[in-house]
Amino acid sequence: MSTILASDLPAFSPRELEDHPRHIEIVSTRSQKRARPRVVYALVAVAGMFAILTAQLLLSIWLSDGAYQISALQQSQQQLSRDQQSLKESLDVLRSPQNLAGRASELGMVLNTGSQGFLSLTGGVSRAPSAAGAATTVPVTAAALTPNSLITPAVSSLGAAAAAAAANPAAAGTPATTAADGSAASTSGTTSPAAQTVLPSPITH
Amino acid sequence: MTNPRSSRVRLTFALLIVFAIVAVFAVRLVDIQIVRADQLNADSLSKRSIKSTTYAARGDIVDSNGVVLAGTVQRYDVTVAPVNMQKGFLRTAKDGTKTTVTLLDIANEIATATKQDQAVVYKKLTESPQSNYALLAGAVDLPTRRAIESLKIPGIIFQLHPVRTYPDGSVAGNLVGYMNTDGPGGGLELGDNKCLASTNGSTTYQQGADGVQIPGSVVTSTASDPGGTLKLTIDSDLNWFAQQAIAEQGTAIGAQSGTAIVLRVKDFHLMAVADWPSVDPNNINGTPIGNVGSLAFTAQYEPGSVFKAMSAATIIDTGTGSATMQATVPWHWVAPDGAIVNDFAPHPIQHLTLTGVLQESSNVGISMLGSLVPEQTRLAYMKKFGLDQTTAVKFLGEATGSIQKLPWDSQTHYNVLYGQGVSATALQVAQIFATLGNGGLRLPTTLVESCTKPDGTVTEAPSTTGIRVVSESTAKTVTNMLESVVQGGELARSLVIPGYRVAGKSGTAEVASHGRYTGDRVVSFAGVAPAENPQYVVVVTYTKPATMKSSAAAAPTFTKIMSQVLTKYRVPPSTTPSTYPATSW
Repeated sequence: MSTILASDLPAFSPRELEDHPRHIEIVSTRSQKRARPRVVYALVAVAGMFAILTAQLLLSIWLSDGAYQISALQQSQQQLSRDQQSLKESLDVLRSPQNLAGRASELGMVLNTGSQGFLSLTGGVSRAPSAAGAATTVPVTAAALTPNSLITPAVSSLGAAAAAAAANPAAAGTPATTAADGSAASTSGTTSPAAQTVLPSPITH
Repeated sequence: MTNPRSSRVRLTFALLIVFAIVAVFAVRLVDIQIVRADQLNADSLSKRSIKSTTYAARGDIVDSNGVVLAGTVQRYDVTVAPVNMQKGFLRTAKDGTKTTVTLLDIANEIATATKQDQAVVYKKLTESPQSNYALLAGAVDLPTRRAIESLKIPGIIFQLHPVRTYPDGSVAGNLVGYMNTDGPGGGLELGDNKCLASTNGSTTYQQGADGVQIPGSVVTSTASDPGGTLKLTIDSDLNWFAQQAIAEQGTAIGAQSGTAIVLRVKDFHLMAVADWPSVDPNNINGTPIGNVGSLAFTAQYEPGSVFKAMSAATIIDTGTGSATMQATVPWHWVAPDGAIVNDFAPHPIQHLTLTGVLQESSNVGISMLGSLVPEQTRLAYMKKFGLDQTTAVKFLGEATGSIQKLPWDSQTHYNVLYGQGVSATALQVAQIFATLGNGGLRLPTTLVESCTKPDGTVTEAPSTTGIRVVSESTAKTVTNMLESVVQGGELARSLVIPGYRVAGKSGTAEVASHGRYTGDRVVSFAGVAPAENPQYVVVVTYTKPATMKSSAAAAPTFTKIMSQVLTKYRVPPSTTPSTYPATSW
């Protein structure tokens, strides 16, 4: 019994089987191969995702950076346009005809109404010019006839003169009233000599 | 050991509680997600989003050279929430030191910046300490705002407060009108409000924690619509000159009021419409209400002898007579139908032509000759000349003047020939002379040249279709006849402008009051220059002068303004000396 058992032993050990692998293996079909996920795809997908996320992040940083820039520029634009409007406002008042005429009178200028000369194309003088006379001056107090409450001492020396005249008509133009207007001391200080020579002269009509 | 029954009860109890809690959650979920979803969404949006008003400016009124007569400037209301101010604040200086600024200090600093009384500001801050709103100063200008901002007081909010400004003050202030606190109050501001009015827009955006707008979150719900620019035909410099001239002379002769008009003949554009006294629209409260508005448009008066020019044109155009038509003129005349006509002053019997009648301004002469034309024809001519109707300007409150209905009574039959018993505005008188200057063609008088919207579309382009009133030869003849007034009339000395041929007519009309003519006068002078090629019409009127009750008061102003017009617009001098038809026979 025991010998029979001994002859039934396997002809080779299992170790031997491992040393000599079988030469037949199951080959996967082409479609199976194609369906199998490849690492490179996964890498591309992940890399792409990160690229998109990074791009999105950069874009949003860039956008919000732009938002701050816009906000800052808008603020400075607003400040500048406020400055511009404020300056234009003063300019419009300074160039109002009352102010220009009054300031010109302070400088001793007169209107040239009707004093212009004309030369004709055929030669000769078709209208002789004449000297502008004192009759065409505009009194410095003209602003009283064509009032403009925007001409204030802060805007024009004319405003200081008008304010002084309004405050004390009898002593208009004297240094006392001009000095009393402390806010316009610097401007009226320089113009008061001119005002003194013009104001006391009688206003003829 | 455990009682299976009691454990089942506890299990059931626990389950019930779990179900109840889940049910409560479910109800709450439905409530939040479905029932109150809209409300909550809106609330959350309003927490994140800021609604801002896009301010649209009211349109400017500019003169023909683009000089701003009425504009809008920004002012700022200084507001605070007193509830946040009561404890003062800590001010950190540049070097890092911290100082406590008390409420009194705040009031003091703001009052200094806004030039107010410190007590007033302090009172506003403490009046109702729990309030969220207090107006510390209304409509401060930019330098003041900057001064307050530099104080770095937290919690001060500046609210935009646009204010209307009139840089030229009373120059053309009679025309542009003014703004009340609640809208346009008069003149073109009201009359052309449709062009000038603006609509503010609104924009909604979301902002981050630091107050910066989140990109892409802007929603414009209403687009802003700025007002259009109203361009006038007025020249502000000339308007000032005219205003100054009538103001000086008006003060000298003690007149109640005066007007001066400069009209360009070729297109009937008004270059200047001056009134004295005139309103300064910056300071409406400082002007008597009667001076607000333009007397040149709104005041109708009996124009007097300036109408003789129109009567002469009617006589010649109907073929009734010519420039040398003869009349034997006493100073006092009783007409066949019983009416009585007197000349201004007694004189011996004169042998005058129609030209002489104009030169001497004889009421009797024009009555004798003018009454040869039937009333109906005369009325038709008066209406063609633009009387008894407003001008094409259709100024706010413009008067039409009035002519009595036909048939006229025996006195009116003659009176209208020399401008009594009939009323007109200074503008209508200017139109008569411009029609004669323009070869008998009356164009629509224009004050508003155009209205330009910000997108460039131009509206309100005025009509240019004219009305033929008298023939070209009639117009030329009458203008030539009117040169006699300037060259040889009693006012000649104050009317001649060297180098130019001027044609014009004086008017001294009696002012009627309670059905009787009084000692008051409206004195005027209307004329065109150069007479051989008329380019500009000037009309000057003074109402109720105290010291000089004749047109001699208006003539020097006419000459002054006309000289300035000819100088300013570089009108070439006349090439031929002034001649006119014979005045006597």
